[in-house]
Amino acid sequence: MSGLTLTVLTSAEWPRDVEPPKLAGFVHSDFNPLIAAVAGRCLEAAPGPEPETAVMLVSDEGDIASAEHVAKAVDAGTRIGPLFFFQSVPNAVLGHVAAKWGLTGPVSCLCDTASALDSARGLLADEDARRVLLIDVTADPATAVLLSEGTT
Amino acid sequence: MNSKGKTDVLITGLAVLSAFGRGMGALAAGLDAGRPAFAPVTRFDVAGRRVGVAATLPGDPDLDDELWWLVDEACDEAKLGTAERAAAPLFLAVHGDPRLARSAPAERPRHGGSAFADGLARNTGLGPSRAYTSACVAASTAIADAAGIIARGEADRVVVAGGYLVEPDQYALFDAGRAFAADGQVRPFSAGRRGLLLGDGAGAVVLESAAASGERGIEPLARLAGWGRAGDAHHPCQPHPQGRGGARALEGARRRAGAEPGEVGYVNAHGSGTAQSDAAETLALRATLGGHAATVPVSSTKALHGQALEASGVLELAVTLHALRGGLLPVNAGYLEPDEQCALDLVLGAPRPAGPGYALSLNAAFGGANTALLLGAA
Repeated sequence: MSGLTLTVLTSAEWPRDVEPPKLAGFVHSDFNPLIAAVAGRCLEAAPGPEPETAVMLVSDEGDIASAEHVAKAVDAGTRIGPLFFFQSVPNAVLGHVAAKWGLTGPVSCLCDTASALDSARGLLADEDARRVLLIDVTADPATAVLLSEGTT
Repeated sequence: MNSKGKTDVLITGLAVLSAFGRGMGALAAGLDAGRPAFAPVTRFDVAGRRVGVAATLPGDPDLDDELWWLVDEACDEAKLGTAERAAAPLFLAVHGDPRLARSAPAERPRHGGSAFADGLARNTGLGPSRAYTSACVAASTAIADAAGIIARGEADRVVVAGGYLVEPDQYALFDAGRAFAADGQVRPFSAGRRGLLLGDGAGAVVLESAAASGERGIEPLARLAGWGRAGDAHHPCQPHPQGRGGARALEGARRRAGAEPGEVGYVNAHGSGTAQSDAAETLALRATLGGHAATVPVSSTKALHGQALEASGVLELAVTLHALRGGLLPVNAGYLEPDEQCALDLVLGAPRPAGPGYALSLNAAFGGANTALLLGAA
C-alpha cells in the first residue's frame, strides 16, 4: 500500500543445500540457523552500523520441523526438551540477530513477502526505523535484504 | 517517529472472546468482577504436565469459527456494508493454522499462515489479507501497521483480528520451558510471582479514518491516538533488564499522540507475571513517564484472563477500551505483597473508579519485541 520507494543497501542469499552453521541454543531444525546465517551474511556487507534497524521475517509455516516434532511428542505422550519452548516462535531467532548486531528497531514476522515489504515501507515512512532487515525464508534460496527509504 | 498523520485513526467496531465468554459484555463482567478465570484444564490431557491450569472457555472451540463470527460482529458494529468489507484489508495475528503441524508435507501450503488468513477474509467478505506471527506482539503489531496505513491516507479502514485458543502443543512447550506459574495463579508485579498461565483470547477490531467513519455517521468507540514499537537488541527470549525497547515503544506511542506523560490515566501492562519481565516493564514505565509512573494506575489483566499469546494485543485492547469507556479500571489480581523492583500504583483488591484521558496497552514478546498502543476518547 505504501508508495514509499525502497532502496536495497545490501542483500545476501543462503542456498537450501548448504547447511548453515549450528546456532547455540537452537536445536533440531535448520530453520533458526538459516535465518541467523543469511542475516549475518547480509549485515556483514552493510554500509556502516545503524541501530535503528527493524528486523522482519517472512515465513509462512515457521519452524515446521520443530512444530511437527512437538506435535508427535504430544500425541505420543513423550517428553519435550525445554529448548523447544524457547524456539517455539519465530521472534526468538530475530532476537538473536538483533542482539548480535545491535539492531533496536521493531521486531516482527509476517507470512508473505509482499505484505512484509509493505510493512517495511510503513516503518520507514513513519520513521519507526531508518533501515529494515528483511529475511525471507519463503524464497529459494533464502534471502536477506537491508532496506532503506529510496531517494527517488 | 513521525507524528504527522493525515487523519485520526478511530475504532468503530470491536468484538472479543475470552475465558469469561463470548462478547464484550462477558469480558466486561469478568473484568469488573475481578475474579481470575483459571481452572483445571479439561480440553486435553495434562496428566504429564507440571501445571494443569489455564483460563479457557468450555469445550473445544474451533479457531476458524470463532474468528469468523468475531470479524462479522466487529464489522456489523462498524456498520460496514458489503462493498466496504470487500475493500477492507484483513490483518490476522495467529500462531498459525492449528492443523499445520499434523498435516502431511504435501498439504502444508494449504495450512500456512497466509492461507489461514485468506480463508478468513473469504468467509467474512473482506479484502486482501496478511498474517502476523510475531508471538505476543503479533496482534498489537498488526494494529500498529494498520493504524499507520490509515494515518498516512493509504486506506480508509483495516480490519485486524487475532486469535489463540489454548491447545496441547503450545501448552506442552510452555510447561517444558517451566514458564507456568506452579501455584496456579498469575501474580503480576507481586513479590512471589512464579510465571504465566495461558488463556483463550480472540478478537477483531475495525480501524477507520475519521473521514471514512464520518461518512456513515458512525459513533466511534475510541481513538487510537498513538502507537509505537521497538526492539531490545538484547536476547532471544529475555527482556532487556532496563526495559529499553519497552520504553522506546511507549515513548513512540506517547509522542505520536502528542500526549504528556501526566495525561496517561491508565496502563494495561504486559505484566506477564514473570520475575524479569515485570521488573523490566516497571523500569520502562519510569523511564518514559518519569514521576507520573509512581501515580498512574497500572494493572495486568493477564492475572484474570491469562496469556493469549498472538491474540494478546487485540484482547488487551478490548480490556483497555473497557477501562477508558467504562470508568472502572480492572484489578491486578493475584497480588501477594510488594516487590521493590515493581513499585507502581497497582490497582489492587477491587476495580478502581476512574476516568482516564488516555489509556495505554503494552505488550512484549520473545525476540525483545515491544509494542505500545495509546487509546483516547474519540
